[in-house]
Amino acid sequence: MSKAVLFLWTVLLGMVISHAQNKQLLYDFYEIPQSLMLNPGVKTPYKWHAGFPLLSGSSLQGGTSGITVNDLFANDGIDFNTKFRDQVVNGLRKNDEFGGSVALELFHIGFRNPNRPNDYISFGMYGEGFISQFWPEDLSVLAFEGNANNLNRRFSLNHIATQGEAVNVFHFGINRKLNNKWTVGARGKIYSSIFEFKSANNKGYFVTTQGENNILRNTLVADVTLRTSGVQEIIDVLEEDAGDTQADLAKLLLRRSLLGGNLGLGFDVGFTHTFAKNSYFTASLLDVGLIYHTNAVKNYTLNGAASNEGIEIILPEDLSNFNSEIWEELIDDIEAQVPFDNNERSYITLRPVKLNASIRYNFGEPRKRKENCECLPMEKLQELNLDYVNALGGQLFMINRARGPQAALTAFYQRRFGNILALKTTYTIDKYTFSNVGLGLNLQAGPINFYLLADNLLGYSNIPNSHYASLQFGFNIISWNGN
Amino acid sequence: MRRLLLIFLSLFLTLSCAEEQDFDQFDDLAIEPTVATSIFYFESDEQTINTVGVGEFYEELFTFEAFSDPNISERVLDGVITYQLENTTSKPLGLLIEFLDETGMVLDSESFIVDEEPTATLERQVAYGEGGKSMDILRNTTNIRVSGENFGDATSQSPQNEPRIILRSSAAFRLRLR
Repeated sequence: MSKAVLFLWTVLLGMVISHAQNKQLLYDFYEIPQSLMLNPGVKTPYKWHAGFPLLSGSSLQGGTSGITVNDLFANDGIDFNTKFRDQVVNGLRKNDEFGGSVALELFHIGFRNPNRPNDYISFGMYGEGFISQFWPEDLSVLAFEGNANNLNRRFSLNHIATQGEAVNVFHFGINRKLNNKWTVGARGKIYSSIFEFKSANNKGYFVTTQGENNILRNTLVADVTLRTSGVQEIIDVLEEDAGDTQADLAKLLLRRSLLGGNLGLGFDVGFTHTFAKNSYFTASLLDVGLIYHTNAVKNYTLNGAASNEGIEIILPEDLSNFNSEIWEELIDDIEAQVPFDNNERSYITLRPVKLNASIRYNFGEPRKRKENCECLPMEKLQELNLDYVNALGGQLFMINRARGPQAALTAFYQRRFGNILALKTTYTIDKYTFSNVGLGLNLQAGPINFYLLADNLLGYSNIPNSHYASLQFGFNIISWNGN
Repeated sequence: MRRLLLIFLSLFLTLSCAEEQDFDQFDDLAIEPTVATSIFYFESDEQTINTVGVGEFYEELFTFEAFSDPNISERVLDGVITYQLENTTSKPLGLLIEFLDETGMVLDSESFIVDEEPTATLERQVAYGEGGKSMDILRNTTNIRVSGENFGDATSQSPQNEPRIILRSSAAFRLRLR
């Protein structure tokens, strides 16, 4: 099998378990300065830009795979327990996921280096958070049905997989146009983790079998870990019996977001390569880094193995040394064999690395401007790569998550209407949906730039029946290179 | 530009709609698994029974708070306790299982009499809850007393390999988790 075919198979398999946090509408939409955050090596046709503080980049995403709100809560007269059993307990699998993410740019500024005009420097701060909960398939069956009618079935503890975090990121990046074929970029990041929790790669099982002596034998083999940092501090504040909980919580979150939490370092890299007239290839690798969790750490573990066939009284052994607290002894033994412990050991987490790539073909030339038009001259537009009317291409997104890499594939079409308006429409397939059509709008009114990007538009015809929704928007002030 | 924005927003709002949802259905969700576990196992060889002699050869009281634990007692709906009694000794034997509360009062008992070998394994299922015994018996049980009685002689020896009396027991209870 050639490497190309192998790669294609990997991508196709990955799509089955693809993921949110994909910003396919914004990627390579370089009329919007925030596209720099998805590829530090994107084309930068700006002299400078400044995002409106707190308004330059906001995004919300949410998705479920395997089930929708409508599947459960539609007012269809079907018994809810029947729907829950069919759609959730028997319908969802361990790779089905409930996820959501939110990001907010606090500020984002960029400018062209006056001494090296090919360099575009940008910096800023943003906060982001996400939660990803995989469906614990086996444990849901155990909770819903119990073990009595599931003898010999191993309920896997590996199905426990959850991850979430909130992090504040300070970043500084340089984008450099090397020549007419290559633009490259890199961005350094300092992470200030507000909170994080993660439980993945768990092992073990619970099984009920025929007993060796007694009727049944319950066996638990567990190697389960939940790592948290910052979470306990937040819980402590929320549980405090005082009137100033909100103020204390705000103070705590602010402190942890402004380098008072757990710190980490990382980087983004990317490039744009023009390989033929009007055709180019881009790729970026984001959040290659780590966070070292040393403060407010609390980890929970369940580790060990135990089998139980109830209380045993065997004569003549128990005639002389019988302990009437035999029940307590049994419980103590099990707790000693499979202890539920916690510790405050420091740990390192790798950032969820994201890979973006695209191939794009521009075609069509804009109509000639009128004499009195204040538009940029054609030569300048060509230099800025804003001369195209249409662009067509494909994009790949991959992210490393609790259950390994996940992927999404996108086809896009982009169209510019003069210097004012650019639209981008995408069709994406990922684990949430195979009918994700998105639309992005970028408006330029003088120096004011506004963008609105919305995903899975077909889902809006019945929002509760949608597997996925995302929205991004922001305001910037942009001075273009030609001005 | 304002017109374009209005068109975009109008389209977005026009296309956005939602089928009627009834989130109150969630209140109907009942999670009621049936959990099963062994309770206790009793075994005595014939030699021990012969050594003690005719009549009661064993009696012991021990704590048993599996059913009275709030996680169980407040959630249990109904259930079945299964007993299996196997006798390969040469004498008829009796076993008595008594469920006692924390004051020592006997709430319920199960009595078994089994013939000498060769005899089939005796199996009994006792239902609790609707149509069976009261669940309060189990909810209030904190101790179990097991006693064994020899209705035969103290000298005979069964020809079977390792002759003994064995009582096995397990419980399967339906719990209301939600």
